[in-house]
Amino acid sequence: MAANKQQGSYFGLFLVGLTVLCAGFAYFDSATGKALLVLGALGVIGSLFGYMGIKSLEGMTAMKPGSGGMKLVGAAVALLGWLLTLAGIHITDSAGGRIVFALLGIAVSLVGILYILPAAFNKNALWKGESASQRTGMTAAKTTMEHSR
Amino acid sequence: MKKILQRSCFSLCLFAFALGLSVAAHAQTAAATPAAAPSAVATSPADAELKDAAGKAPATADLAKGDPGGSLTGTINDVPAADSKAGVTLPDVANQVGQNKIAVNFVWTLVCGFLVMFMQAGFAMVESGLCRVKNANHTYMMNFFVYTCGLFAYWILGFAIQMGGAAGNSNLGGLQPLASEHTLSLFGKTWGLFGQSGYFLAGHTYDVGVMVIFLFEMVFMDTALTIVTGACAERWKFATFAVTSVIMGAITYPLFGNWAWGAGWLSQLGTNAGLGKGYCDFAGSGVVHAVGGLTALAVCLIVGPRIGKFNRDGSANPIIGHDISAVLIGCFILAFGWFGFNPGSTLGASANGNLRIGTIAVATMLAGCTGTLGAIIYMWALKGKPDASMSGNGLLAGLVAITAPSGFVSATNACIIGLIAGVLVCISCAFVENVLKVDDPVGAISVHGTNGLWGVLSVGLFADGTSNYGGSWNGVTGSVTGLFYGDASQLAAQLIGISTLIGFVFTLSFVINLVLEYFMGHRVSIETEVGGLDIPEMGQLGYPEFVFRPEPAMPSGD
Repeated sequence: MAANKQQGSYFGLFLVGLTVLCAGFAYFDSATGKALLVLGALGVIGSLFGYMGIKSLEGMTAMKPGSGGMKLVGAAVALLGWLLTLAGIHITDSAGGRIVFALLGIAVSLVGILYILPAAFNKNALWKGESASQRTGMTAAKTTMEHSR
Repeated sequence: MKKILQRSCFSLCLFAFALGLSVAAHAQTAAATPAAAPSAVATSPADAELKDAAGKAPATADLAKGDPGGSLTGTINDVPAADSKAGVTLPDVANQVGQNKIAVNFVWTLVCGFLVMFMQAGFAMVESGLCRVKNANHTYMMNFFVYTCGLFAYWILGFAIQMGGAAGNSNLGGLQPLASEHTLSLFGKTWGLFGQSGYFLAGHTYDVGVMVIFLFEMVFMDTALTIVTGACAERWKFATFAVTSVIMGAITYPLFGNWAWGAGWLSQLGTNAGLGKGYCDFAGSGVVHAVGGLTALAVCLIVGPRIGKFNRDGSANPIIGHDISAVLIGCFILAFGWFGFNPGSTLGASANGNLRIGTIAVATMLAGCTGTLGAIIYMWALKGKPDASMSGNGLLAGLVAITAPSGFVSATNACIIGLIAGVLVCISCAFVENVLKVDDPVGAISVHGTNGLWGVLSVGLFADGTSNYGGSWNGVTGSVTGLFYGDASQLAAQLIGISTLIGFVFTLSFVINLVLEYFMGHRVSIETEVGGLDIPEMGQLGYPEFVFRPEPAMPSGD
């Protein structure tokens, strides 16, 4: 199942919910604002659960589940690098010291982004296993363009 | 524009002349009349001179004959008088001069914003041209719809977060309605976190200056959003793309935008931590391009590579785009739009050092030029062919890299920055594909992410300390000066900005899209992907009258 009416409806609900949510932020000091905030949040959450309800109907994708834990570890390491950089601002007053802390922080973040996360996502990558064409038997359906002559 | 400039110059001259007369007259009469009555203003020699000028101005009958040379149009008679009986007075002239300055800056900023808006067309052509024909409609539609999604999200929330505390820009009249920044007190200093005024552009933000800055900042935000659509093309579910674009336009981009441009904590690194002039990103190598490029990397990791991109041994297969002419024309459109992007970021052409717009435009041109040269020579010398798509990416890489330093560097340094960017984009594309095994059909991660970060870094290295926009930047007196010109602390501020982009912005984007993967799924089904996204996702082909044939030997890991 590709794009469909339910997707469109839930996107509409998402936008309406988000708009109401933002109106709640804008007028948060008033009781009406707080009510709008709750109403908008319900709309947004409702749309996401609506999407989740139709997700299984949309067919198999060319992806296998990766390592969920490693994905979170990768993100956490990336964030840790940033926190290290922030700590450097407070720990030392010298420009050189802060440069060192920032470089360390960047290096740590890059380990998370360029090493841990790709490894987590590629661990069970489809291309590592059976070929896509064997999996789907759809090689013949692959198409490309040829200009009319 | 020309007319406004002419009038502005005329008014400035008139004002200076009148002011000089007034000061001279005051000096002569001060001893005799130390406490002049207020009514003396109306009868001062300056006002007499103004009346004289009004008398000498062309009469209506003269103007009725036509003014082919343009020497009669635009005189003192065009200056509105508060009291028509008294005629034009010195305060009238002063007010007109002030309004002319703001008008020039409004027009400049708006026109530059229109140029940046047109870049959407360039992105659409580049991205679609680099994709296969079976996904052309889908890719074009993503580029089309991201404009709407981003604009709407920015109107309801994003602008308030980014610019809600950005009051104080004298180029645009002060922007005083935007004076509400949520702050955090930490280690004895106050740090800005996000803005709080400007939701829906309603209430006191229904203001002429606010509308100008909204338009200009909005088109920048949309540029960041459209970067992601290229990197994830040919397998991204349209519904998920739409939702994540709205969230990016409402939260991810504006948050970092506030920290860098909206009185947020990065811009306060100079005043609060003594680091140069704070984090400096003149036109958005970091705010726009690195945010877009890093978000593209986050989504690309989640959405996975296209079927057939990688073989079982991990080697990559080239998947050739369908229209190289669209790619190169799109690159030219982008280069044209960049003249709005960088020079427009002065937010004005009048006062406060804004005459540097010419330098900024030339730096932009040159960096694009050397970026192209770097990429072409690299590919030609190492791979044997002056690859067209990488040449286009080289141009864009040079432009992306010069975006942050364009306001602070010389023409020579712009060339160096662009040349490095042109080579860097080739190396980065190979790294992303062959080492990370991330499939980026258009090279957006390398063009915008890698070179966005390089641009931010280059400010800390190459800023030459000659750009003096009103005497200070981010509240710190002096000009932005990089390591090579004697200020290591500016490099520290830039590195903190880079760390924030990599560590915070990437992580935020990654987590948001991981949540959307759980609820919605990012990827289309195998059947949709193999057959092409145009029919299943969009309902029609991009090129319905072209004939399709089975692909003879598409590598798919067999």
